[in-house]
Amino acid sequence: MRNYLAKRRMTGVLAASVLAATGLMAGSASAKTLTAKGAPSVITVGTLYASTGAFATSSLPQYAGLQFWAKEVNRAGGVYVKAYKKKIKVSIVALNDESNPATATTLYNQLLTQDNVNVLVSDFGSVLTAPAITLAKNQNKLVFDVSGTGTSFFDNGADPNVILTSLPVSSIWPKPLTSLLLQLKTKRVAILYCQNDFDGAQAQAIKGFLVKGGVTPVYFQGVPTSQTDYSTLLQSIKATNPDAVLELGYPNNDIAFLNELASTGTHFKFALTVFPGQLPALFIKDVGVKALSYTFTYAEPPTVAYNQVNIGLGTTAFQRAFAPADPSSVNFLNVAGYNAGLAVQAALQNATSLSPAGLHAGINAVSGKLRTLEGNFRINNAGAQVGELLPVGQIHPAGNRIAVKIIKPAIAAEIPMVNAKPLYPAPKG
Amino acid sequence: MRLFEFALLSGVMYGLFYAFVGIGLNLLFGVMRVVNLAHGDLIVFGGYLAYVLENDWHIGPLWAIPISVPMGLVFGYVLYYVTVPRLRRSADTETTSLILFFGISQVLEAIATIVFGANQVTLPSLGAPVSIFGQNYSLSAVVSAGISVPALLLLYAYLYRTRLGLETRAVMADEEEALASGVRVRRVAVTAFMIGVAFAAAAGSLAMFMLGGVNPVTGSQLTVTAFTVIIIGSLGNPLGTAVGGLLYGLAASLTQAYLTEWTGMVPYVLLLIVVLLRPSGLFGKRARIA
Repeated sequence: MRNYLAKRRMTGVLAASVLAATGLMAGSASAKTLTAKGAPSVITVGTLYASTGAFATSSLPQYAGLQFWAKEVNRAGGVYVKAYKKKIKVSIVALNDESNPATATTLYNQLLTQDNVNVLVSDFGSVLTAPAITLAKNQNKLVFDVSGTGTSFFDNGADPNVILTSLPVSSIWPKPLTSLLLQLKTKRVAILYCQNDFDGAQAQAIKGFLVKGGVTPVYFQGVPTSQTDYSTLLQSIKATNPDAVLELGYPNNDIAFLNELASTGTHFKFALTVFPGQLPALFIKDVGVKALSYTFTYAEPPTVAYNQVNIGLGTTAFQRAFAPADPSSVNFLNVAGYNAGLAVQAALQNATSLSPAGLHAGINAVSGKLRTLEGNFRINNAGAQVGELLPVGQIHPAGNRIAVKIIKPAIAAEIPMVNAKPLYPAPKG
Repeated sequence: MRLFEFALLSGVMYGLFYAFVGIGLNLLFGVMRVVNLAHGDLIVFGGYLAYVLENDWHIGPLWAIPISVPMGLVFGYVLYYVTVPRLRRSADTETTSLILFFGISQVLEAIATIVFGANQVTLPSLGAPVSIFGQNYSLSAVVSAGISVPALLLLYAYLYRTRLGLETRAVMADEEEALASGVRVRRVAVTAFMIGVAFAAAAGSLAMFMLGGVNPVTGSQLTVTAFTVIIIGSLGNPLGTAVGGLLYGLAASLTQAYLTEWTGMVPYVLLLIVVLLRPSGLFGKRARIA
């Protein structure tokens, strides 16, 4: 009996020691990140940005938008996290990928495996988002994809690892554009695109929609994303006598293309580039109002304003808060970065846990109900953004600035903006 | 046929520009066996100079060429004495120079980002397009070709019509023999370095037009192009660089016209073919193994 009691005492002491040791270890771990109730002291949002390289032009303003969101949220005492039923402050862990996808892969991995961030937000565009999506799928994590719209990210059915927060997926993005081209009865369409997920997917989608509408592109060619010399390419396109020319590239491609049009005195009845609508100030500086005039582009916020919102600031309020001195300097990528923050906020407000599945369920719960400064937020089961279509706009000169006048083709009837008639054939700038 | 004509002429114009881009790099390598990975970044700084002159001083960007040449000469002189004497003492000059100039390239890129930001900077077109054989060419491309030709001829005249040029060619052929023959090797080397840097800086203002502008990382791409051009022509042979540039420009232009999807690859396929068939380049001398 004594032996039995001695054994029980020993077992009790050992158990207490183990519990105490476990408690101590847990205590030391939680001292860094957890409060007494187990909630983290801060929600870490890991992201990448490119301070140099081909994508810096777009990545930096997107990052600035995300930073602004974090600042706003923290000023209000933090973001409400349903999993812990309390507001928690947000901290951004940002690393510089220098526009290099290989560097981005390493840094995304670092954010996920070493920094153990609570939320991962990808860098700008499909090229720098692709590594995040691959890692998220391999490690079963969730990535908030701000502007990587490449169709290949969303073509494998239901996907719990990615949420596209801003732009519509490339496969539906060009619907209003092709609708407008068909409405204008353009028969000869030339498409020049850069060989990357973003532009390639758009080009294929446009081609598909046009062919369905009975128009087969007379020119359909891809060039490297590093392309800067468009002289001979323009002549090749001109030789096809097109009614409309679509150049799908990143900002540096669009700038070089538009400058080549101006310097060779080439004029097309309809010329569209992607980024003047997103980065108007940059294009005014690098291309000039005259060369931009009467060309077409996509019209994104803040050109298109969504002020009826149920989370965060509306478009106009955001412009005023983000750049009080010059609200017109706010560009789409500032909006996209901020919008990604709002998506993270919505996920945290509705998620019952911070696990990837929990966050995904949190965002799914508000899909279709959320109205942000980018309009209706709705994702499909593959995580692709399908809430809004992107209208097409025509650039008009307005002194030393430009005004993007929105053209509302038949298919984009739900776009709630002021409508303008396209000037087609476009007058010379 | 009209497209072919355009592609041919445009290819020649761009080819002359690429020759201008590569010539300074080749001179440095030919004389000192220095692999200057910062060559493209020096070109980019020439481009920024043109940008600053136009935007801040309202001086036409082409004035950047006569202004950048003396600046390049001075910078080349300083850079030579800071780097080359130490490099030459190393066991393997080529490899060490590769590492050293990679570092310089990164530093220049970082400086450009701090001073000018990450965005592309551009300049407005020089003027109305020029009609040649009934087709419009950008005035900038025509002017660029017009500047490249005399610049290349000037370098040719230096190498083949001056005593220092003769000595330079002697050092390119065999440094030790040149030294034994009384050639002032150090003087040749420092002059070549200064001229190489000056050519790079001068090419920068043309790059503003031919590449549609520059940004801090344009330099890396230009260095790759410059190396491709000089390897096609042959390392250490300035005449070969002119031909290499023309071939590169023509290959790029004709590919854009007829094999658009292959635009990014064909100039490098040309490089591979040249290296496989004539490892010393089109104008390289075959090595005699005794």
